[in-house]
Amino acid sequence: MERDGNPAEVREGKSRVAADSQGPRARFEDIEVGRVLAEMDWVVTDEMIDTQCAIDDDYDVWFSLHSPWGGRIAPPQITYRPPRWLLSRAYNVRGLFYKWEMENVRPIRPGVTLRVIARVTDKYLRNEREFIVYEAEATDSDGHVVFRTKRTHVLDFIERTAERTGAGIDSGIKSERI
Amino acid sequence: MPVLTRNSPVGLALPEFACQFTLAHFKRADETTIHTDVEAARREGLPAPVATGPQVAALIFRQLRTCFGEGWIVGGRCDLTFRRPVYVTDFCVARGAVKRREDSPDGVRLFCDVWIENAAGDKVIVGSASGLVQ
Repeated sequence: MERDGNPAEVREGKSRVAADSQGPRARFEDIEVGRVLAEMDWVVTDEMIDTQCAIDDDYDVWFSLHSPWGGRIAPPQITYRPPRWLLSRAYNVRGLFYKWEMENVRPIRPGVTLRVIARVTDKYLRNEREFIVYEAEATDSDGHVVFRTKRTHVLDFIERTAERTGAGIDSGIKSERI
Repeated sequence: MPVLTRNSPVGLALPEFACQFTLAHFKRADETTIHTDVEAARREGLPAPVATGPQVAALIFRQLRTCFGEGWIVGGRCDLTFRRPVYVTDFCVARGAVKRREDSPDGVRLFCDVWIENAAGDKVIVGSASGLVQ
């Protein structure tokens, strides 16, 4: 994979990234509204909770020891990554996070298997940039909703009038870990 | 004990939570990303590495947990817009205020405006959040 592109041109903001180490970047026209991105079973572990607290430098008795729901629970924002992984399973999107809706329906406990499903619900253009919207919902083994989320992601920081020819270093496709 | 109760008045300021971010906050051992590497960021048209949105928004989540307690973990909602990039060495502070109150089938729900400002006072993340109160 060519990784050099034309850095001088990119620095001047004239070129959008066309590909990175994970392959060609998804184009706006490739994004299929209504498409189920993927589904996954996700089990939060004690180690994931510890990692999330360390990432956010935010510790609480509820997250580390015990909570009103019995045992420790996970910080609700631990739910950020699984829907993003599902987006990346379907499309190679780097871009930037633009909007984040979240609903915490039930506490997230370690060791419980959650079924997470995500789908693309919209895409639109604004200010010469390309946006995609996707939603995800997680349910437990009894079918109870645990969390819901809706995200908007801009495909590129650079305007869409710029040619897509550059080579990126970072990719939205990453190892699926907290 | 949560900060907010059913008697909290509209206009009440939420407690503030701040962080002086550094590059170390965003390092992941084996990854070169737009959050850690100048060249990776420039390839995407960014002048410098940018903070990961969820890590900055975590200041708001801490604020909401403090304010709503159990009402954030069960029934908490928020809707955030990342208006402009936060760079990896920025100072950020989460602020907010109670905006309105609503009776719902689950109890009393308080709605708040929440936002994050950088050192220049620019609102880099803005949004609304709500939770159930006792």
